[in-house]
Amino acid sequence: MILSGNELVALATKAARGAGAPPQQAAAFGRAALCHFQAGRAPQHLRAALDALPTGPILEIPLALTRLMEAAEGDVAEGVLRADAPSDFIQSYLEAQPFAITATASQDGFVLTCALSTPAPRVPSVRVTLPGGLAARMTALAAQLLVPDTAASRAGGAGAGLTDND
Amino acid sequence: MKDIADFTPPPQAPLRPPAQVMRLARMGSMFPTRLSFLRSLIRRLAAEEVTVSRPVWEMDADGFGHAVYSLVLGGHRYSLVAVSTDLPPEQRTDRVIATAWDSAYVLFDGMPDADDIARIVASAPLQEAARFTERDLVLSRANKSVRLFAHVTESLRAGCQPNEQMIRDVGYLMRTTAVYGNGKFGIADRAVIESRPGLEGPFAAEMLTVWLIRHFTHELAEHVGGAPLDAPLKRHLGIGNSTGLGMAPFLVSHPVLLNNWMLARETALARVCAIESVDAPTAARLHALAERAAQHLGEWQVPDADHQRRIEALRGDWDIFRATLDFGGPTPLARVMAAAEDQSLDLQELLAAMLIEPFGDLVDGLAECMGDPFGPMTLPLRDTAALRSGIEQYFDWALTPDYDAADHCGQFWYVSEAKQEPRLGLRFEEPGAELESPLDIARRVKALYRDIGDGAQPVSALLEQHPEHGLAVARVQMADRYPYGEIRDNLIATSCLPIDMLRCKLSFFGASKFDPKSDRWTRITLCQGAPLAGDLATGDADDWWLPVFAQ
Repeated sequence: MILSGNELVALATKAARGAGAPPQQAAAFGRAALCHFQAGRAPQHLRAALDALPTGPILEIPLALTRLMEAAEGDVAEGVLRADAPSDFIQSYLEAQPFAITATASQDGFVLTCALSTPAPRVPSVRVTLPGGLAARMTALAAQLLVPDTAASRAGGAGAGLTDND
Repeated sequence: MKDIADFTPPPQAPLRPPAQVMRLARMGSMFPTRLSFLRSLIRRLAAEEVTVSRPVWEMDADGFGHAVYSLVLGGHRYSLVAVSTDLPPEQRTDRVIATAWDSAYVLFDGMPDADDIARIVASAPLQEAARFTERDLVLSRANKSVRLFAHVTESLRAGCQPNEQMIRDVGYLMRTTAVYGNGKFGIADRAVIESRPGLEGPFAAEMLTVWLIRHFTHELAEHVGGAPLDAPLKRHLGIGNSTGLGMAPFLVSHPVLLNNWMLARETALARVCAIESVDAPTAARLHALAERAAQHLGEWQVPDADHQRRIEALRGDWDIFRATLDFGGPTPLARVMAAAEDQSLDLQELLAAMLIEPFGDLVDGLAECMGDPFGPMTLPLRDTAALRSGIEQYFDWALTPDYDAADHCGQFWYVSEAKQEPRLGLRFEEPGAELESPLDIARRVKALYRDIGDGAQPVSALLEQHPEHGLAVARVQMADRYPYGEIRDNLIATSCLPIDMLRCKLSFFGASKFDPKSDRWTRITLCQGAPLAGDLATGDADDWWLPVFAQ
C-alpha cells in the first residue's frame, strides 16, 4: 500500500487513537511513524507500539520528552532521554519534533540537546510503502473510531440536503 | 534573500485582543480581505504576468470531454486537467457522499503527456474511489448550476448575451464540492510544493486550481453556446463552492495556522489604525470602497430568510454608518474603527476589511507570515503552577461552562463511517458519542484544571497520572506564543454554530456571497470579479474586493 506522507500520518494517528491512545500522544505517534518510514526503519516497531496500547512506548516516549523539556534553561533543554522502547523508534520521535535536536546514543539512553526556538531541518517529502499486514492492522484500528451511519446522521449529520440541483 | 535584521515593522496601534477576536460569532461575521489567499495568489500571477495556454481541448458539441490548461508560476509549470461528463440529474448532489459529478479536475505538476492525461481522465471522475500520484497536486470536482449553465449556453446559441440579472443572482456556472490537497487519496504532500515561489502560502495550490476551474467553466459555456461571453459578464462569473462540516475541524486541529491567519489580519488592521493621516485621494478611495460595499450588500441575496434578514440589517446599518465616515484629522482609521464599537459584529468586520484594502504597501507583506512551515515552536511549562497560571490567563473563558449540563455538551463531533468525513451529532439523541473527536478543547482544559490540584509538581508527573490531559496541556502551552490559535467558545455546546467556523475559514480563502443552507453548510462564491486570464497584465488585477456587478 503506497501512501502519501500525510496519509500515513493521518492513518497512524487514527490507529493509535483507535487502540486507546489519547489524542495528543496519538498525533505524536503519527508524526513519528512518518519519520520512521522515511528513515527506512523496521515497521514492526510501529506494530508493537500499537499492540502495547493503552500503555507502552506511545505513551512513554512523549512523557520522557516532556520530562526532559520541562527542565529547560531558557530555550535549550539538555539531558538524557530514557524510555523503554527500541532506540530507532525513539529516534523517529526525535526526528518528528519541530525544533532542532542533537542526539547521541549512550548506554543510558539518548543524550539530547534541544534548541527549542530553532526549527528542525526540513525533511523532503517521500511516499511510503506500508506493508500489507501493518496497513490492515492500522486500518482496522482506525475504523474503531468511525460512527456507523444512521438515517438521522445521513439526513442531518453533515447538514446538507439530499439533492442540490439548481 | 532579504536580511530580516534590516526590517523595521511599520508603526501599529494595539491589536484587538484574542478575547474579542476569537469568538465564534465574530469569526462568523468575517469578510474577505486583501490578505485572503485568492487575492495573494492573483497578485502573484499578475506580478509575473502569467499567461494561460490551452494545449488540449477534446470536447464534443455538448461540452463533454477533457481539456488541459497550463501556466508557469515561479519558474514551475502547472496544468489543470479538466474532465467534463454527462451526469444524470438524479445523481447531482453537492454532498460529500456523492459518487458522480458534472466535472472533475486535477492540478498536475508540469505538463501532462498523453499517458498522464489518459490516467487522469479515467481516475479523476472517481475522486475518492481512485488513487493518485505525486505529480497530482490538487484533486477537485464541480457540479453545474444547471439553471444558469443552460440559460447562458442557450442565450449564446440564440445570438445574444445571457440575462444580467440571472448572472448577478447565481454568480457562477459551476460550484466545486471538494478541493483536496496535501496528500489526500495519494496526491502530492504539501511538502512537495510548499517552498515553491507562488505556492508557499496556505492553500495557494488549491486557489490556483479553483481560479483555473473558473476559467474552464467560462470556456466550456462558450464552446457549448458557440459564441463568446461579454467580458464584464464573464468577470462576474466566479466559481461556486459548496462546503459542509468537513472543513470546520481544520481550524481546531491547526492552531498555529489559525493563529498566523488571524494575527496577520489583526496586524494589518493595527497598522492602518496607526496611520497618522490620509491624503485626499486615499480618503476618496475609502469612500468609494464604502460605496462598493453598499452595492455588494445590495446584490447579496440568499434564499434563507434568517440570513437574508441579517444581510438586510447590515445594509441598513452600513448606509447609516458610511454617511458618517470622515477620514480627516489625526489617526482617522483608528477613529472610524472606534466609532463602530457599538455597531453589529457584521458591520465591524466589514469595516475592518474595508479599512485594510487601500494599504497594500503597508500590509501585503503580512501574507508571507500566514503559513506554518515549522509546527508549534512552544516552550515547555516548568510545572503545574505555571500550567494553572496559563489556564487562568488564556483559558478563563473555558472554565465557566458546566460541561455536564445538557446545553453545554449537547453536540459531539465525530467521523462517519461513510466516506470518513467529520459530522456533528446530538449527544442525547444519536449514537456514537463514545467515539467523539477531540474538538472539545474547552471541556478538556477545564478537566485538566480540575486535576492539577494545589502546589507545583512537574507537568510530566501530572501527565504520568493523567495521560488523557496531554492535548489540553499542549494547547495551554501554545497559548502564549500563538494567542490567536484557539476559538474561544465551547464547540460542543448546543448553541455552537459550525457555520461560523466555515465562514471564518472561507473568508481567508477569499469567499464572498455566503449563502448558508443550514447552520452546517453553505454555498459561497470564489473568484467573482477576479481578473480573467487575459486581464492579469492590465494593472487593475488587484482591485476586486467585494465583487459588484459591472455594466
